[in-house]
Amino acid sequence: MRYVRIFLLHFQDTFAERARSFVWFLIALINPLILLLFWRGAFLETGSTLAGWNLSTMASYYLLLIIAGAFLSVHIDEKIAYYDIQEGALSSYLIRPFSYALWNFFIELPYRILQGAFGVAVFLIFRLIFGPMIAIRTDWPSLSLAILIIVLGLLISFFFKMILGLSALWTTDYSGLEQFFEVAGLIFGGFVIPLNLLPDGVQRLAFSLPFSYIYYFPVTAIQGTLATADIPNILFGQIFWLAALYATYTLIWRRGIQKFTAVGQ
Amino acid sequence: MVISVSHLSKHYQTFQKEPGLVGSLKSLFARKYQTVKAVNDVSFDIGEGELVGFIGPNGAGKTTTLKCLSGLLYPTNGKVSVLGFTPYERKTAFLKQIALVMGQKNQLWWDLPAQETFLLNKEIYEIPDGEYQKTLSDLVELLDVEDLLKVQVRKLSLGERMKMELIAALIHSPKVLFLDEPTIGLDVVMQKKMRDFIEVYNRLNKSTILLTSHYMEDVRQLAKRVIIIDHGKILYDGKLDSLVKKFAKYKVLSVVLETYVAPDKLAEVGELTEYNFPKAVIRVSRNASNVAAAELLQKFPVDDLNIEEPDIEDIIRDVFTQAAK
Repeated sequence: MRYVRIFLLHFQDTFAERARSFVWFLIALINPLILLLFWRGAFLETGSTLAGWNLSTMASYYLLLIIAGAFLSVHIDEKIAYYDIQEGALSSYLIRPFSYALWNFFIELPYRILQGAFGVAVFLIFRLIFGPMIAIRTDWPSLSLAILIIVLGLLISFFFKMILGLSALWTTDYSGLEQFFEVAGLIFGGFVIPLNLLPDGVQRLAFSLPFSYIYYFPVTAIQGTLATADIPNILFGQIFWLAALYATYTLIWRRGIQKFTAVGQ
Repeated sequence: MVISVSHLSKHYQTFQKEPGLVGSLKSLFARKYQTVKAVNDVSFDIGEGELVGFIGPNGAGKTTTLKCLSGLLYPTNGKVSVLGFTPYERKTAFLKQIALVMGQKNQLWWDLPAQETFLLNKEIYEIPDGEYQKTLSDLVELLDVEDLLKVQVRKLSLGERMKMELIAALIHSPKVLFLDEPTIGLDVVMQKKMRDFIEVYNRLNKSTILLTSHYMEDVRQLAKRVIIIDHGKILYDGKLDSLVKKFAKYKVLSVVLETYVAPDKLAEVGELTEYNFPKAVIRVSRNASNVAAAELLQKFPVDDLNIEEPDIEDIIRDVFTQAAK
Protein backbone atom coordinates (compact mmCIF):
# COMPACT_ATOMS: atom_id res chain seq x y z
CA MET A 1 0.00 0.00 0.00
CA ARG A 2 2.92 2.30 0.85
CA TYR A 3 4.38 1.80 -2.63
CA VAL A 4 0.99 2.43 -4.26
CA ARG A 5 0.70 5.74 -2.37
CA ILE A 6 4.24 6.74 -3.38
CA PHE A 7 3.45 5.82 -7.01
CA LEU A 8 0.21 7.84 -6.96
CA LEU A 9 2.00 10.89 -5.54
CA HIS A 10 4.55 10.67 -8.35
CA PHE A 11 1.75 10.23 -10.87
CA GLN A 12 0.26 13.57 -9.71
CA ASP A 13 3.58 15.26 -10.40
CA THR A 14 3.82 13.72 -13.87
CA PHE A 15 0.22 14.61 -14.64
CA ALA A 16 1.03 18.25 -13.88
CA GLU A 17 3.42 18.07 -16.85
CA ARG A 18 0.99 16.34 -19.25
CA ALA A 19 1.23 19.02 -21.96
CA ARG A 20 5.03 18.73 -22.14
CA SER A 21 4.72 14.95 -22.11
CA PHE A 22 2.33 15.12 -25.08
CA VAL A 23 4.82 17.22 -27.08
CA TRP A 24 7.56 14.63 -26.41
CA PHE A 25 5.18 11.95 -27.64
CA LEU A 26 4.47 13.87 -30.85
CA ILE A 27 8.22 14.15 -31.55
CA ALA A 28 8.66 10.37 -31.07
CA LEU A 29 5.64 9.76 -33.31
CA ILE A 30 7.21 11.29 -36.42
CA ASN A 31 9.85 8.62 -37.16
CA PRO A 32 7.57 5.53 -37.21
CA LEU A 33 4.90 7.43 -39.19
CA ILE A 34 7.40 8.39 -41.90
CA LEU A 35 8.59 4.76 -42.14
CA LEU A 36 4.99 3.60 -42.27
CA LEU A 37 4.40 5.90 -45.27
CA PHE A 38 7.55 4.53 -46.92
CA TRP A 39 6.42 0.90 -46.55
CA ARG A 40 2.90 1.76 -47.67
CA GLY A 41 4.36 3.16 -50.89
CA ALA A 42 6.61 0.11 -51.33
CA PHE A 43 3.81 -2.44 -50.85
CA LEU A 44 1.30 -0.54 -53.00
CA GLU A 45 3.93 -0.23 -55.75
CA THR A 46 4.90 -3.92 -55.81
CA GLY A 47 1.62 -5.39 -54.56
CA SER A 48 3.56 -8.32 -53.09
CA THR A 49 4.71 -9.55 -49.67
CA LEU A 50 8.21 -9.45 -48.22
CA ALA A 51 9.45 -12.29 -45.95
CA GLY A 52 5.92 -12.76 -44.66
CA TRP A 53 5.20 -9.03 -44.26
CA ASN A 54 2.39 -7.30 -46.12
CA LEU A 55 0.87 -3.82 -45.90
CA SER A 56 -1.51 -4.87 -43.10
CA THR A 57 1.13 -6.48 -40.85
CA MET A 58 3.62 -3.71 -41.58
CA ALA A 59 1.06 -1.00 -40.71
CA SER A 60 0.15 -2.81 -37.47
CA TYR A 61 3.87 -3.24 -36.68
CA TYR A 62 4.69 0.45 -36.97
CA LEU A 63 1.58 1.57 -35.10
CA LEU A 64 2.43 -0.84 -32.27
CA LEU A 65 6.00 0.42 -32.42
CA ILE A 66 4.66 3.90 -31.66
CA ILE A 67 3.11 2.53 -28.45
CA ALA A 68 6.29 0.55 -27.67
CA GLY A 69 8.44 3.62 -28.24
CA ALA A 70 6.23 5.62 -25.90
CA PHE A 71 5.71 2.98 -23.21
CA LEU A 72 9.04 1.15 -23.25
CA SER A 73 11.57 3.90 -24.05
CA VAL A 74 12.74 4.77 -20.55
CA HIS A 75 14.40 8.21 -20.36
CA ILE A 76 15.52 8.20 -16.73
CA ASP A 77 19.21 8.18 -17.81
CA GLU A 78 19.13 11.87 -18.72
CA LYS A 79 17.77 12.85 -15.32
CA ILE A 80 20.32 10.65 -13.53
CA ALA A 81 23.34 11.83 -15.55
CA TYR A 82 22.65 15.53 -15.87
CA TYR A 83 20.58 16.40 -12.81
CA ASP A 84 21.44 13.82 -10.16
CA ILE A 85 25.14 13.32 -10.87
CA GLN A 86 26.46 16.35 -12.73
CA GLU A 87 24.42 18.88 -10.73
CA GLY A 88 24.61 16.86 -7.52
CA ALA A 89 20.90 16.24 -6.83
CA LEU A 90 21.77 12.61 -6.01
CA SER A 91 22.51 13.87 -2.49
CA SER A 92 18.85 14.36 -1.70
CA TYR A 93 18.14 10.69 -2.61
CA LEU A 94 21.13 9.29 -0.72
CA ILE A 95 20.04 10.79 2.59
CA ARG A 96 16.51 9.39 2.42
CA PRO A 97 15.70 5.82 3.47
CA PHE A 98 14.43 4.56 0.13
CA SER A 99 15.97 2.58 -2.72
CA TYR A 100 17.37 4.86 -5.46
CA ALA A 101 16.33 2.39 -8.18
CA LEU A 102 12.78 2.28 -6.83
CA TRP A 103 12.63 6.10 -6.59
CA ASN A 104 13.55 6.35 -10.24
CA PHE A 105 11.14 3.62 -11.23
CA PHE A 106 8.33 5.54 -9.52
CA ILE A 107 9.45 8.73 -11.24
CA GLU A 108 9.61 7.07 -14.67
CA LEU A 109 6.58 4.73 -14.62
CA PRO A 110 3.92 7.50 -14.67
CA TYR A 111 5.61 9.03 -17.75
CA ARG A 112 5.59 5.65 -19.50
CA ILE A 113 1.92 5.10 -18.64
CA LEU A 114 0.95 8.59 -19.81
CA GLN A 115 2.95 8.34 -23.04
CA GLY A 116 1.76 4.76 -23.59
CA ALA A 117 -1.82 6.03 -23.24
CA PHE A 118 -1.14 8.63 -25.97
CA GLY A 119 0.22 5.76 -28.12
CA VAL A 120 -2.88 3.63 -27.52
CA ALA A 121 -5.07 6.61 -28.50
CA VAL A 122 -3.18 6.99 -31.81
CA PHE A 123 -3.48 3.23 -32.43
CA LEU A 124 -7.24 3.30 -31.79
CA ILE A 125 -7.71 6.26 -34.15
CA PHE A 126 -5.92 4.36 -36.94
CA ARG A 127 -7.91 1.24 -36.14
CA LEU A 128 -11.16 3.24 -36.45
CA ILE A 129 -10.06 4.65 -39.79
CA PHE A 130 -8.51 1.55 -41.37
CA GLY A 131 -10.54 -1.18 -39.62
CA PRO A 132 -9.31 -4.81 -39.56
CA MET A 133 -6.17 -3.96 -41.57
CA ILE A 134 -4.71 -2.90 -38.19
CA ALA A 135 -4.67 -6.09 -36.13
CA ILE A 136 -3.35 -7.38 -32.80
CA ARG A 137 -3.63 -10.67 -30.91
CA THR A 138 -6.98 -11.12 -29.21
CA ASP A 139 -6.75 -14.65 -27.71
CA TRP A 140 -6.17 -14.34 -23.98
CA PRO A 141 -3.40 -16.97 -23.49
CA SER A 142 -1.21 -15.38 -26.18
CA LEU A 143 -2.17 -11.89 -25.01
CA SER A 144 -1.13 -12.75 -21.42
CA LEU A 145 2.27 -13.97 -22.61
CA ALA A 146 2.63 -10.85 -24.77
CA ILE A 147 1.88 -8.66 -21.73
CA LEU A 148 4.54 -10.56 -19.75
CA ILE A 149 7.04 -9.93 -22.58
CA ILE A 150 6.10 -6.22 -22.56
CA VAL A 151 6.58 -5.92 -18.75
CA LEU A 152 9.96 -7.68 -18.95
CA GLY A 153 10.87 -5.36 -21.86
CA LEU A 154 10.06 -2.34 -19.68
CA LEU A 155 12.24 -3.64 -16.83
CA ILE A 156 15.15 -4.35 -19.20
CA SER A 157 14.79 -0.87 -20.65
CA PHE A 158 14.70 0.61 -17.12
CA PHE A 159 17.86 -1.08 -15.82
CA PHE A 160 19.69 -0.46 -19.09
CA LYS A 161 18.99 3.27 -18.78
CA MET A 162 19.82 3.29 -15.05
CA ILE A 163 23.27 1.90 -15.90
CA LEU A 164 23.66 4.38 -18.76
CA GLY A 165 22.77 7.27 -16.44
CA LEU A 166 25.13 6.12 -13.69
CA SER A 167 27.97 5.98 -16.22
CA ALA A 168 28.13 9.78 -15.74
CA LEU A 169 29.92 9.03 -12.46
CA TRP A 170 32.93 7.99 -14.56
CA THR A 171 32.54 10.09 -17.71
CA THR A 172 32.57 13.87 -17.94
CA ASP A 173 30.72 13.95 -21.27
CA TYR A 174 27.71 11.70 -21.04
CA SER A 175 25.96 12.96 -24.19
CA GLY A 176 28.18 10.95 -26.61
CA LEU A 177 27.28 7.69 -24.91
CA GLU A 178 23.62 8.66 -24.82
CA GLN A 179 23.54 9.39 -28.57
CA PHE A 180 25.38 6.15 -29.38
CA PHE A 181 22.86 3.98 -27.55
CA GLU A 182 19.94 6.01 -28.92
CA VAL A 183 21.03 5.13 -32.47
CA ALA A 184 21.79 1.51 -31.51
CA GLY A 185 18.29 1.26 -29.99
CA LEU A 186 16.69 2.55 -33.20
CA ILE A 187 18.55 0.10 -35.45
CA PHE A 188 18.62 -3.02 -33.27
CA GLY A 189 15.23 -2.43 -31.66
CA GLY A 190 13.50 -2.69 -35.04
CA PHE A 191 12.57 0.97 -35.52
CA VAL A 192 14.23 1.26 -38.95
CA ILE A 193 13.00 -2.06 -40.36
CA PRO A 194 11.60 -5.21 -38.74
CA LEU A 195 14.57 -7.25 -37.53
CA ASN A 196 13.77 -10.38 -39.54
CA LEU A 197 14.31 -8.35 -42.72
CA LEU A 198 17.94 -7.63 -41.75
CA PRO A 199 20.79 -9.68 -43.30
CA ASP A 200 21.53 -12.88 -41.34
CA GLY A 201 24.67 -11.68 -39.54
CA VAL A 202 23.15 -8.35 -38.50
CA GLN A 203 19.96 -10.15 -37.51
CA ARG A 204 21.88 -12.52 -35.21
CA LEU A 205 23.64 -9.52 -33.68
CA ALA A 206 20.32 -7.71 -33.17
CA PHE A 207 18.76 -10.76 -31.50
CA SER A 208 21.71 -11.03 -29.11
CA LEU A 209 21.45 -7.39 -27.92
CA PRO A 210 18.97 -6.13 -25.31
CA PHE A 211 17.22 -3.67 -27.69
CA SER A 212 15.32 -6.43 -29.52
CA TYR A 213 14.00 -7.66 -26.16
CA ILE A 214 12.85 -4.13 -25.29
CA TYR A 215 11.02 -3.21 -28.51
CA TYR A 216 10.96 -5.77 -31.31
CA PHE A 217 9.82 -8.91 -29.45
CA PRO A 218 7.14 -7.14 -27.36
CA VAL A 219 5.71 -5.58 -30.55
CA THR A 220 5.73 -8.83 -32.57
CA ALA A 221 4.35 -10.72 -29.56
CA ILE A 222 1.31 -8.46 -29.22
CA GLN A 223 0.92 -8.25 -32.98
CA GLY A 224 0.88 -12.02 -33.35
CA THR A 225 3.76 -12.31 -35.86
CA LEU A 226 5.95 -13.95 -33.21
CA ALA A 227 5.61 -17.74 -33.42
CA THR A 228 4.21 -19.31 -30.22
CA ALA A 229 7.08 -21.83 -30.29
CA ASP A 230 9.58 -18.95 -30.04
CA ILE A 231 8.01 -17.43 -26.93
CA PRO A 232 9.89 -19.58 -24.32
CA ASN A 233 13.22 -18.61 -25.95
CA ILE A 234 12.26 -14.95 -25.93
CA LEU A 235 11.25 -15.13 -22.26
CA PHE A 236 14.52 -16.88 -21.43
CA GLY A 237 16.48 -14.19 -23.29
CA GLN A 238 14.59 -11.44 -21.47
CA ILE A 239 15.19 -13.02 -18.04
CA PHE A 240 18.88 -13.43 -18.90
CA TRP A 241 19.20 -9.75 -19.89
CA LEU A 242 17.20 -8.56 -16.89
CA ALA A 243 19.37 -10.55 -14.47
CA ALA A 244 22.60 -9.41 -16.16
CA LEU A 245 21.55 -5.76 -16.19
CA TYR A 246 20.30 -5.84 -12.60
CA ALA A 247 23.61 -7.40 -11.43
CA THR A 248 25.58 -4.77 -13.39
CA TYR A 249 23.43 -2.00 -11.99
CA THR A 250 23.97 -3.22 -8.41
CA LEU A 251 27.73 -3.44 -8.96
CA ILE A 252 28.17 -0.01 -10.52
CA TRP A 253 25.81 1.60 -8.01
CA ARG A 254 27.94 0.29 -5.11
CA ARG A 255 31.17 1.37 -6.80
CA GLY A 256 29.75 4.60 -8.17
CA ILE A 257 28.45 6.11 -4.93
CA GLN A 258 31.95 5.76 -3.50
CA LYS A 259 33.13 7.99 -6.35
CA PHE A 260 30.26 10.47 -5.99
CA THR A 261 31.54 13.83 -4.79
CA ALA A 262 28.16 15.48 -4.22
CA VAL A 263 29.38 18.40 -6.29
CA GLY A 264 27.16 21.45 -6.28
CA GLN A 265 25.21 20.13 -3.33
CA MET B 1 28.34 11.41 22.20
CA VAL B 2 25.86 11.79 19.35
CA ILE B 3 28.54 12.71 16.81
CA SER B 4 32.08 11.45 17.09
CA VAL B 5 34.72 12.26 14.48
CA SER B 6 38.22 10.88 14.79
CA HIS B 7 41.06 11.79 12.41
CA LEU B 8 38.65 12.25 9.50
CA SER B 9 40.24 12.94 6.11
CA LYS B 10 38.62 13.27 2.71
CA HIS B 11 40.88 13.68 -0.30
CA TYR B 12 39.81 14.17 -3.91
CA GLN B 13 41.60 13.65 -7.18
CA THR B 14 41.01 16.53 -9.57
CA PHE B 15 41.91 16.44 -13.24
CA GLN B 16 44.16 19.28 -14.40
CA LYS B 17 44.03 20.29 -18.04
CA GLU B 18 46.43 22.65 -19.75
CA PRO B 19 44.73 25.48 -21.66
CA GLY B 20 43.86 25.35 -25.36
CA LEU B 21 43.51 22.65 -28.00
CA VAL B 22 47.04 21.32 -27.41
CA GLY B 23 46.13 20.83 -23.75
CA SER B 24 42.98 18.95 -24.77
CA LEU B 25 44.96 16.64 -27.08
CA LYS B 26 47.62 16.03 -24.44
CA SER B 27 44.97 15.14 -21.88
CA LEU B 28 43.73 12.36 -24.18
CA PHE B 29 47.01 10.47 -23.64
CA ALA B 30 48.39 11.64 -20.31
CA ARG B 31 46.15 13.10 -17.66
CA LYS B 32 47.51 15.02 -14.71
CA TYR B 33 45.70 14.68 -11.43
CA GLN B 34 46.07 16.68 -8.26
CA THR B 35 45.05 15.50 -4.81
CA VAL B 36 42.93 18.00 -2.92
CA LYS B 37 42.83 17.53 0.85
CA ALA B 38 39.31 18.84 1.45
CA VAL B 39 39.32 17.59 5.04
CA ASN B 40 42.59 16.66 6.70
CA ASP B 41 42.80 14.85 10.04
CA VAL B 42 39.80 16.43 11.73
CA SER B 43 38.55 15.25 15.15
CA PHE B 44 35.68 16.48 17.33
CA ASP B 45 32.74 15.24 19.39
CA ILE B 46 29.25 16.70 19.70
CA GLY B 47 26.86 15.82 22.50
CA GLU B 48 23.07 15.41 22.49
CA GLY B 49 21.11 18.64 22.02
CA GLU B 50 24.19 20.74 21.20
CA LEU B 51 23.95 23.39 18.49
CA VAL B 52 27.39 23.86 16.99
CA GLY B 53 28.42 26.45 14.39
CA PHE B 54 30.85 25.30 11.74
CA ILE B 55 32.72 28.29 10.33
CA GLY B 56 35.24 28.65 7.55
CA PRO B 57 35.85 30.42 4.24
CA ASN B 58 34.82 28.89 0.89
CA GLY B 59 36.66 25.61 0.28
CA ALA B 60 37.60 25.25 3.97
CA GLY B 61 36.08 21.78 4.25
CA LYS B 62 32.84 22.58 6.14
CA THR B 63 30.41 21.13 3.64
CA THR B 64 32.66 18.12 2.93
CA THR B 65 32.68 17.33 6.66
CA LEU B 66 28.89 17.67 6.77
CA LYS B 67 28.59 15.35 3.77
CA CYS B 68 30.80 12.76 5.48
CA LEU B 69 28.67 13.01 8.62
CA SER B 70 25.40 12.59 6.72
CA GLY B 71 26.67 9.59 4.75
CA LEU B 72 26.93 11.25 1.33
CA LEU B 73 30.69 10.80 1.12
CA TYR B 74 33.03 7.97 1.95
CA PRO B 75 35.94 9.21 4.11
CA THR B 76 39.46 8.64 2.81
CA ASN B 77 40.70 8.03 6.36
CA GLY B 78 39.46 8.20 9.92
CA LYS B 79 36.32 7.19 11.75
CA VAL B 80 32.94 8.85 11.90
CA SER B 81 30.08 7.81 14.15
CA VAL B 82 26.65 9.46 14.21
CA LEU B 83 24.07 8.08 16.66
CA GLY B 84 26.23 4.96 16.84
CA PHE B 85 26.05 4.38 13.06
CA THR B 86 28.76 4.60 10.42
CA PRO B 87 27.15 7.20 8.13
CA TYR B 88 28.39 5.99 4.72
CA GLU B 89 26.74 2.60 5.28
CA ARG B 90 23.48 4.56 5.08
CA LYS B 91 21.41 2.09 7.05
CA THR B 92 17.68 2.80 7.05
CA ALA B 93 17.61 3.21 10.85
CA PHE B 94 20.33 5.88 10.55
CA LEU B 95 18.73 7.77 7.65
CA LYS B 96 15.41 7.89 9.52
CA GLN B 97 17.08 9.83 12.35
CA ILE B 98 18.99 12.48 10.43
CA ALA B 99 18.24 15.34 8.06
CA LEU B 100 20.45 17.46 5.85
CA VAL B 101 19.19 20.85 4.70
CA MET B 102 21.20 22.60 2.04
CA GLY B 103 20.34 26.24 1.37
CA GLN B 104 18.70 26.88 -2.01
CA LYS B 105 18.71 23.18 -2.95
CA ASN B 106 15.29 21.69 -2.86
CA GLN B 107 13.48 18.43 -2.56
CA LEU B 108 10.05 19.96 -3.12
CA TRP B 109 7.97 19.20 -6.22
CA TRP B 110 7.72 22.44 -8.16
CA ASP B 111 4.39 21.90 -9.86
CA LEU B 112 2.51 20.67 -6.79
CA PRO B 113 1.77 22.24 -3.40
CA ALA B 114 4.42 21.54 -0.75
CA GLN B 115 2.04 19.36 1.24
CA GLU B 116 2.30 16.70 -1.48
CA THR B 117 6.05 16.46 -0.81
CA PHE B 118 5.31 16.23 2.93
CA LEU B 119 2.95 13.33 2.20
CA LEU B 120 5.64 11.66 0.09
CA ASN B 121 8.13 11.99 2.95
CA LYS B 122 5.51 10.59 5.34
CA GLU B 123 5.46 7.43 3.22
CA ILE B 124 9.24 7.35 2.68
CA TYR B 125 9.97 7.68 6.40
CA GLU B 126 6.97 5.50 7.35
CA ILE B 127 5.58 8.06 9.79
CA PRO B 128 2.32 7.00 11.51
CA ASP B 129 -0.73 9.21 10.69
CA GLY B 130 -1.10 10.72 14.18
CA GLU B 131 2.57 11.54 14.55
CA TYR B 132 2.66 13.07 11.06
CA GLN B 133 -0.33 15.31 11.76
CA LYS B 134 1.10 16.51 15.06
CA THR B 135 4.60 17.23 13.72
CA LEU B 136 3.17 18.96 10.66
CA SER B 137 0.84 21.20 12.67
CA ASP B 138 3.66 22.08 15.12
CA LEU B 139 6.04 23.02 12.30
CA VAL B 140 3.35 24.91 10.37
CA GLU B 141 2.53 26.93 13.49
CA LEU B 142 6.18 27.64 14.32
CA LEU B 143 6.93 28.79 10.78
CA ASP B 144 3.53 30.46 10.27
CA VAL B 145 2.83 28.91 6.87
CA GLU B 146 -0.76 27.69 7.30
CA ASP B 147 -1.95 29.64 4.22
CA LEU B 148 0.84 28.34 1.99
CA LEU B 149 0.28 24.60 2.28
CA LYS B 150 -1.99 24.41 -0.77
CA VAL B 151 -0.02 26.84 -2.95
CA GLN B 152 2.02 25.47 -5.87
CA VAL B 153 5.70 25.53 -4.84
CA ARG B 154 6.81 27.47 -7.94
CA LYS B 155 4.54 30.34 -6.84
CA LEU B 156 6.20 30.69 -3.41
CA SER B 157 8.89 33.28 -2.63
CA LEU B 158 12.42 32.09 -1.82
CA GLY B 159 11.86 32.59 1.90
CA GLU B 160 8.53 30.75 1.82
CA ARG B 161 10.11 27.89 -0.11
CA MET B 162 12.92 27.66 2.43
CA LYS B 163 10.34 27.34 5.21
CA MET B 164 8.66 24.52 3.28
CA GLU B 165 12.05 22.87 2.72
CA LEU B 166 12.60 22.91 6.46
CA ILE B 167 9.21 21.29 7.09
CA ALA B 168 9.98 18.61 4.49
CA ALA B 169 13.34 17.95 6.15
CA LEU B 170 11.96 17.90 9.70
CA ILE B 171 8.68 16.04 9.19
CA HIS B 172 10.27 12.80 10.45
CA SER B 173 11.56 14.55 13.63
CA PRO B 174 15.27 13.84 13.09
CA LYS B 175 17.52 13.53 16.12
CA VAL B 176 20.46 15.03 14.24
CA LEU B 177 20.12 17.95 11.88
CA PHE B 178 22.82 19.15 9.49
CA LEU B 179 22.15 22.68 8.22
CA ASP B 180 24.37 23.83 5.38
CA GLU B 181 23.94 27.57 4.78
CA PRO B 182 20.24 27.58 5.68
CA THR B 183 19.87 31.35 5.37
CA ILE B 184 21.83 31.87 2.16
CA GLY B 185 20.10 34.20 -0.29
CA LEU B 186 17.37 35.24 2.16
CA ASP B 187 16.67 38.87 3.07
CA VAL B 188 17.56 40.03 6.60
CA VAL B 189 13.99 39.72 7.90
CA MET B 190 13.67 36.15 6.66
CA GLN B 191 17.16 35.30 7.95
CA LYS B 192 16.07 36.41 11.42
CA LYS B 193 12.87 34.33 11.21
CA MET B 194 14.90 31.27 10.19
CA ARG B 195 17.35 31.77 13.05
CA ASP B 196 14.50 32.18 15.54
CA PHE B 197 12.92 28.98 14.23
CA ILE B 198 16.15 26.96 14.47
CA GLU B 199 16.71 28.25 18.01
CA VAL B 200 13.21 27.29 19.16
CA TYR B 201 13.33 23.94 17.33
CA ASN B 202 16.61 23.04 19.01
CA ARG B 203 15.25 24.00 22.43
CA LEU B 204 11.92 22.18 22.07
CA ASN B 205 13.15 18.99 20.39
CA LYS B 206 16.60 18.65 21.96
CA SER B 207 17.90 17.86 18.47
CA THR B 208 21.63 17.94 17.87
CA ILE B 209 22.33 20.56 15.20
CA LEU B 210 25.48 21.23 13.22
CA LEU B 211 25.22 24.47 11.28
CA THR B 212 27.45 26.01 8.63
CA SER B 213 26.95 29.59 7.60
CA HIS B 214 28.72 32.51 6.03
CA TYR B 215 26.58 34.89 8.06
CA MET B 216 28.15 35.51 11.45
CA GLU B 217 24.79 36.63 12.78
CA ASP B 218 23.54 33.02 12.35
CA VAL B 219 26.42 31.71 14.43
CA ARG B 220 26.28 34.54 16.96
CA GLN B 221 22.57 34.01 17.70
CA LEU B 222 22.45 30.23 17.54
CA ALA B 223 25.75 28.61 18.47
CA LYS B 224 27.37 28.66 21.88
CA ARG B 225 30.14 26.47 20.51
CA VAL B 226 31.96 27.03 17.25
CA ILE B 227 34.37 24.94 15.21
CA ILE B 228 36.56 26.99 12.90
CA ILE B 229 37.99 25.13 9.94
CA ASP B 230 40.31 26.22 7.15
CA HIS B 231 42.24 24.26 4.52
CA GLY B 232 40.67 21.09 5.90
CA LYS B 233 42.06 21.56 9.43
CA ILE B 234 40.38 22.66 12.64
CA LEU B 235 41.79 25.97 13.89
CA TYR B 236 39.52 26.40 16.89
CA ASP B 237 36.91 24.33 18.73
CA GLY B 238 35.28 25.88 21.75
CA LYS B 239 32.85 28.46 23.10
CA LEU B 240 32.19 31.57 21.07
CA ASP B 241 32.96 33.76 24.13
CA SER B 242 36.33 32.05 24.65
CA LEU B 243 37.19 32.62 20.98
CA VAL B 244 37.04 36.37 21.60
CA LYS B 245 39.27 36.16 24.68
CA LYS B 246 41.74 33.80 23.04
CA PHE B 247 42.19 35.46 19.67
CA ALA B 248 41.21 39.12 20.18
CA LYS B 249 44.40 40.78 21.36
CA TYR B 250 42.76 44.21 21.32
CA LYS B 251 39.62 46.12 22.27
CA VAL B 252 37.88 48.81 20.33
CA LEU B 253 37.29 52.33 21.64
CA SER B 254 34.43 54.06 19.83
CA VAL B 255 34.59 57.79 20.44
CA VAL B 256 32.27 60.67 19.57
CA LEU B 257 34.18 64.01 19.75
CA GLU B 258 32.71 67.42 20.60
CA THR B 259 35.23 69.33 18.49
CA TYR B 260 37.68 68.34 15.77
CA VAL B 261 40.98 66.73 16.86
CA ALA B 262 43.84 66.05 14.46
CA PRO B 263 44.12 62.33 13.53
CA ASP B 264 47.80 62.10 14.57
CA LYS B 265 46.86 63.22 18.09
CA LEU B 266 44.23 60.46 18.37
CA ALA B 267 46.74 57.94 16.98
CA GLU B 268 48.93 58.57 20.03
CA VAL B 269 46.34 56.64 22.12
CA GLY B 270 46.23 53.59 19.88
CA GLU B 271 45.73 52.42 16.28
CA LEU B 272 43.26 54.78 14.63
CA THR B 273 41.27 52.49 12.32
CA GLU B 274 38.42 54.85 11.38
CA TYR B 275 37.98 58.61 11.64
CA ASN B 276 34.98 60.37 10.25
CA PHE B 277 34.45 63.40 12.50
CA PRO B 278 32.87 63.38 15.02
CA LYS B 279 33.23 59.58 15.14
CA ALA B 280 36.55 57.79 15.62
CA VAL B 281 37.46 54.15 16.22
CA ILE B 282 40.72 53.29 17.98
CA ARG B 283 42.18 49.83 18.58
CA VAL B 284 44.09 49.39 21.82
CA SER B 285 45.72 46.47 23.58
CA ARG B 286 43.24 44.50 25.75
CA ASN B 287 45.23 45.16 28.94
CA ALA B 288 45.57 48.87 28.27
CA SER B 289 41.96 49.62 27.28
CA ASN B 290 41.01 51.25 30.60
CA VAL B 291 44.14 53.40 30.65
CA ALA B 292 43.60 54.43 27.02
CA ALA B 293 39.96 55.31 27.72
CA ALA B 294 40.98 57.47 30.69
CA GLU B 295 43.63 59.21 28.54
CA LEU B 296 41.05 59.97 25.85
CA LEU B 297 38.64 61.47 28.39
CA GLN B 298 41.36 63.63 29.95
CA LYS B 299 43.09 64.92 26.84
CA PHE B 300 40.28 65.33 24.30
CA PRO B 301 36.80 66.87 24.12
CA VAL B 302 34.88 63.56 24.26
CA ASP B 303 31.10 63.60 23.98
CA ASP B 304 30.66 59.81 24.19
CA LEU B 305 32.95 56.81 24.63
CA ASN B 306 32.40 53.04 24.46
CA ILE B 307 34.83 50.19 25.09
CA GLU B 308 33.81 47.26 22.89
CA GLU B 309 34.98 43.80 22.01
CA PRO B 310 36.10 43.60 18.38
CA ASP B 311 33.61 42.31 15.85
CA ILE B 312 33.51 38.51 15.77
CA GLU B 313 34.00 38.57 12.00
CA ASP B 314 37.25 40.54 12.44
CA ILE B 315 38.49 38.02 15.00
CA ILE B 316 37.75 35.09 12.74
CA ARG B 317 39.43 36.87 9.83
CA ASP B 318 42.48 37.29 12.08
CA VAL B 319 42.37 33.57 12.95
CA PHE B 320 42.42 32.68 9.24
CA THR B 321 45.17 35.19 8.53
CA GLN B 322 47.34 33.84 11.34
CA ALA B 323 46.76 30.28 10.13
CA ALA B 324 47.76 31.25 6.60
CA LYS B 325 51.08 32.64 7.93
